[in-house]
Amino acid sequence: MSEAALPVVLRVPRTGRATTFRSFARRNPRMIVGGILIVVLLFIALFAPVIAPFDPIQVRLADSLLPPGVRGHLLGTDDLGRDVLSRVMWGARISLSVGVISVSIGFLIGVSIGLIAGYVGGAFDLLAMRAIDALLAFPFLVLAIAITAALGPEIRNAMIAIGIVAIPAYARLTRGQVLAVRGRDFVVAARTIGASPLRIVLRHIFPNITNPLVVQATLGTAGAILAEAALSFLGLGAQAPTPSWGLDINYSQRYLANLKWWMSAGPGIAIFLAVFAFNFLGDALRDALDPRLRRSA
Amino acid sequence: MTIYILRRLLLMIPVALLVTVIIFVLIRMAPGDPVLTYAGEEKDPATIEVIRKDLGLDQPLPVQYFAWLSHAVRGDLGRSFQTKQPVLQAIAERLPVTLELGLAAVTLSVSVALVVGTISALNRNGIVDLVSTSVTLAGVSFPNFYLGLLLILTFAYVVPGHIFPPGGFVPFTQDPGENLRRLVLPAITLATASLAVNLRQVRSSLLDVFGQEYIRTARAKGLRERVVITRHSLKNALIPVVTIVGIQIGAIIEGAIITETIFFLPGIGRLAVQAIPSQDYPVVQGVVLISALSFMVTTLLVDVLYAFLDPRISFETVRA
Repeated sequence: MSEAALPVVLRVPRTGRATTFRSFARRNPRMIVGGILIVVLLFIALFAPVIAPFDPIQVRLADSLLPPGVRGHLLGTDDLGRDVLSRVMWGARISLSVGVISVSIGFLIGVSIGLIAGYVGGAFDLLAMRAIDALLAFPFLVLAIAITAALGPEIRNAMIAIGIVAIPAYARLTRGQVLAVRGRDFVVAARTIGASPLRIVLRHIFPNITNPLVVQATLGTAGAILAEAALSFLGLGAQAPTPSWGLDINYSQRYLANLKWWMSAGPGIAIFLAVFAFNFLGDALRDALDPRLRRSA
Repeated sequence: MTIYILRRLLLMIPVALLVTVIIFVLIRMAPGDPVLTYAGEEKDPATIEVIRKDLGLDQPLPVQYFAWLSHAVRGDLGRSFQTKQPVLQAIAERLPVTLELGLAAVTLSVSVALVVGTISALNRNGIVDLVSTSVTLAGVSFPNFYLGLLLILTFAYVVPGHIFPPGGFVPFTQDPGENLRRLVLPAITLATASLAVNLRQVRSSLLDVFGQEYIRTARAKGLRERVVITRHSLKNALIPVVTIVGIQIGAIIEGAIITETIFFLPGIGRLAVQAIPSQDYPVVQGVVLISALSFMVTTLLVDVLYAFLDPRISFETVRA
């Protein structure tokens, strides 16, 4: 490039941060909507103790079963007079932490297995993939239920169970990606200059296969939040009186015949919004990062 | 093709064995001692030991596993600790409920997906398409146990006349009308879970097919649009749909767990959910095993069917 060309490049009209954001938003509306929803949820989860209008656990029988909007209870109260909105806000902590922790478990173990199986191959690959096949032979929720039942019905165990169930997806995805880049020039070059296998895998291969993994992790968070809600609904996750969306919907069932619909409306809509946000962001990320995986829908 | 199926069946054996080990280890890891649960008020250590021996729980774990496995391959999944009923019999008794629910849901989901998906694909970006894609998007994120409650609330309590009951089951042989009436809400709940996925698949594979040259040829030679859609497009577009629907049929027990719990249906899913807190090992093991095996077998059937439906897939390439 000639030196004279340089100032021309620098004189490209400056767009300013706001304009750049606006054009990004116009090109990726789903990413923005999903992203904003997730930020709001994170904010609510982090600051629930400060922003929740009432104590989510304290029983106030005088305020029992108030419909939405009465005496400052925006989403109403349950039979024990507990504020539904406050419980939904505190419940966000459980749902999001299950999302993050179980996805991290699945990601760390699954990606490690996939990296080793894909790069080293041989007996490890064969054995690891058969084990993954065995895990895949179970329907998702059946395995999650079996593991949670084995470890004991507790929210911590539900996280572990959902994490384990997620391992095969990451392991298979990673292995496939490793096989695809293993023979590429930059890997061969690294091997030629004597880089150790660990360095090749972590510094050369892994950074080149992260895109589909990010997409999988985002969509996986949506699945994990939904799975936690289902397990808690079945009594295998969070235990009373912990505020948890799935558990609260289960609890509300007994007042359904009395038409106390608001007890489940708050947590039901909260689950929907949280799962929707991660699905939306995940779909947008897939389109942006991984055109090969793009669905025509 | 026979060789391909035999090969797949052989490959299934080690995986199935691994599956049984996973199930066995998982269930035995459960905290608490089931013997104490069953002993109830009984505190006498000698009697407790007798019960333990009776349940076969005094043997070392590997011995327990091989005993369970050797019985299982002969179709004996043991007896429920709680009711003493043979597990296979308990499952068989509840199978019709789960199958009826599952098949009704799959049929409902597939028919709606086919009709709406086809209309959507034909009028891309039209009103139906926009509404159905947004509903699809919302549908994959909506917790279906909450949907079940909303349906019960609306149709069993709010709408005058209480069109549908909130739950419960009446055998078809006893009262066909009541059986079907009680099936409607659970079937809709379960169908919605897969509807979103099926609709999306029908629409996108139809759109793929519409872009193919043989469709242009069919139109160019003057075939009526109805013939182009039914004979030429749908037939080819349905191949990937078969895979997805097949997997859904294999996972019927999974879907039934939540739906049966909400609607108090005495099916296999509810059997498992009820057996967990009482640590009824043989029942939980049996249900998990049956659901994993049926999932594995349907996956294999789908692969075979897929290759059969699409002549472009040769078994040689599948094998490689």
